[in-house]
Amino acid sequence: MSADPGAFNTYYPTFLRYIAVAIGLGLLMYGVYRLLRRAGAKHEPATGFTLVLPWIVGFLIFTVFPIGLSFYLSFTEYNILWDEPRPLEDPLFNYKRALSIKVVELPEGERPLQVLGTMEGPTPETVRYRELDRFRLGDKTYVIGATDGNFLKAIWLTLRYAVLNVPLGMLGALAVALLLNQNIKGVGFWRTLYYLPAVLPAAAVALLWFWLFAPNSGLINWFLSPLYKLLDIPPAGWFTDKNLVLPSFIIMGMWGVFGANTVILLAGLKNIPKDLYEAASIDGAGTWKKFRHVTIPMLSPALFYNLVTNMIASLTIFTQQAFIPTDRQDGWFVNWFIYNEAFNFGRMGYASALGWMLAVMIILLTLLVFRSSAAWVFYEGARQEGGA
Amino acid sequence: MKRTLRFALIALLTVALLPLAGASTLAQEPVTLRVTNWAGVEEAAEFQAIVDEINANNTEFQLVYEPKPDDYYTQLQTQLAGGTAADLMWLDQNHMEWAFDGVLLDISEYLANDDRDVANPEDYFEGIWQTVAINDGVYGLPWIAQPVVLYYNRAIFDEMGVEYPTADWTWDDFRAAAEALTNEEHYGFTLNDWPPIQMFIWSFGGEVISEDLQTSPIDTPEAMAGAQLYADMIFNESCCPSEQTIAEEGFAEMFKAGRVAMFMGGAADDLDRVEGLDVGVSPVPKDVNGGNTTFAWTAATAINADTEYPDLAYEALIQLTEGIHHWKIVSPRVSQANVEHLVASEPRKEANAEAILEAVPYMRAFRIFPRMAEWDQIFWEDFKDPLYHGEDTVENLAADARILLEDVLGD
Repeated sequence: MSADPGAFNTYYPTFLRYIAVAIGLGLLMYGVYRLLRRAGAKHEPATGFTLVLPWIVGFLIFTVFPIGLSFYLSFTEYNILWDEPRPLEDPLFNYKRALSIKVVELPEGERPLQVLGTMEGPTPETVRYRELDRFRLGDKTYVIGATDGNFLKAIWLTLRYAVLNVPLGMLGALAVALLLNQNIKGVGFWRTLYYLPAVLPAAAVALLWFWLFAPNSGLINWFLSPLYKLLDIPPAGWFTDKNLVLPSFIIMGMWGVFGANTVILLAGLKNIPKDLYEAASIDGAGTWKKFRHVTIPMLSPALFYNLVTNMIASLTIFTQQAFIPTDRQDGWFVNWFIYNEAFNFGRMGYASALGWMLAVMIILLTLLVFRSSAAWVFYEGARQEGGA
Repeated sequence: MKRTLRFALIALLTVALLPLAGASTLAQEPVTLRVTNWAGVEEAAEFQAIVDEINANNTEFQLVYEPKPDDYYTQLQTQLAGGTAADLMWLDQNHMEWAFDGVLLDISEYLANDDRDVANPEDYFEGIWQTVAINDGVYGLPWIAQPVVLYYNRAIFDEMGVEYPTADWTWDDFRAAAEALTNEEHYGFTLNDWPPIQMFIWSFGGEVISEDLQTSPIDTPEAMAGAQLYADMIFNESCCPSEQTIAEEGFAEMFKAGRVAMFMGGAADDLDRVEGLDVGVSPVPKDVNGGNTTFAWTAATAINADTEYPDLAYEALIQLTEGIHHWKIVSPRVSQANVEHLVASEPRKEANAEAILEAVPYMRAFRIFPRMAEWDQIFWEDFKDPLYHGEDTVENLAADARILLEDVLGD
């Protein structure tokens, strides 16, 4: 581009703002330090707290405030292009919109949309129940309607993804860690190779898998082409067939978990005292019994850490779907669904409510895992009572 | 310590504020206006040339061009929300609905007091002007109106012994030709949700959005006739490639590779200058009223409602639009709908200029209404997608989709 005649005018206000923030932070730190000292704090802890203050300020402004604001917005109607949110007559409308379900009889010859009707109570816009499923009871047909079946489908898809991806990924990572725990020549090379997925950019990896899964020119279908010919079926549409969307993402996810998870489990394996294995051998334990009664218990803290972090990562999957387009009907993960509600359809208030519901779901599942840890996580070889 | 700190603070403030000593000089500099669009490298260079010429002839303002070739609308939306968006921006017809959110400047009063041709609403094709004339205001100036035309590969027509298409073709003629032109090596036509199904519906006398923006009458016999033709042809290998073939070989790429005999593309597309292909251009088949109703892709330049300099931004808008009308084809202005202007803007279209201009009087764009993105999503999920894949009849799909579409319009 040609020389910018207004560069100084354009960027000088930004420069001033940087200076103002730096001065402001400096003054705040000085003020807090003086206050702490006056309150009786010693020099060292006062200095420590003062130095941590910029991070605390950043955390409050860029994490706590947006979280609080999104909670507030979840009770409003808001498009980010508007000057301000609009209050809802029913503050819980966004939450009800996401979770309302009803079951009605479907008379012969009628279509579900005509019998399901619209959401009750005050609503800022018409919200119609859409068919989620139907079933027969006796000689009558019933249809299950939801006001946002796509959100419920997204939750269901995400949960299934997590339930399948997490254990499979951990099993795979454990197997690789056990292999890499051998004292063989060139093991450093293999450790580097298996860690590579963790350092590659997620967007590039997603595109790479998109090409691998391409219906006619992708490597995977090329590899499976003899099978397709044998069975006389067309090549699988990995991201266009709604029955294959989940398996495709799970296969992608498996490759991704090898990296960091393997390294953590490998470190855990290295920390298992060898005398435990010697003692087990003396007692006549074979390979499987050593694995079952020594390796797994001693590795359980690392497995617990991997379980929690992988579960949260699986439930919040986003980047892969951002680069691999699928139809909403075929399957969107809930994080991507929320993003589209906020930025494509302009329903930031509704998206905020969905985000909070996802957060609560993740917190509850994480607490469940923590509660279960008392039964299977061992620290220093002794079971801890009452959870992690 | 106190004195040192005080001295350090004063010194820092002095250094930071020193440049303001030249404040009087700043006040005399021309105002900087930012303009943004989605142009890639080549297009951005051409747009920059227009910007440079405007800057060279202006003392009151200077334009700074900020192209955003990736994620344009995501970035723009975020900047509008954050108050850091450019003063002028390109918006396609799908995003003119932002006028309802109050982020675009209403320029109707400026236009009323401006007697330049580029500011005259009467000089714009009505079907294009309605994309910026929203709710008694005007929220931008269109800079392009690309009608969809029919590109055809003469060699395939000659090989299969089919007459070249003309403006007098009916849709029956078109479909028969598409089937006659299909064999193992090439297809007669191709569809992939492009051109928009709306074009077929309009051609059969139907509408997807009523003029008062209150209804979506897609279940009328006329609308369903147009949609049925589209459904009968799309992915039907008797005349069009399958979905997987298109995914594999590319949509327009198949035409360029000589694998498709007819392709409906924009007037400015490069489909008629592919090396080794002898390509003609014709208007699309006749509509029920004897015209050649066609879809026009259009876009406008709009002004950010929060611009600090609305008067200067308007002047910049006028000059930019005039410049673009001599660059892009087809100009959306009636007075410029002639061969000379078209060829002057794009000499490479000289051979097919007349055929393109035949399509211009019949072109129309989408209507603009609030929540268009949501309406489009429903139209795709509940009507087009299941229709293209034969999941239900056009009657059933249209009946259900109409209810859902009108929920969006009614709110």
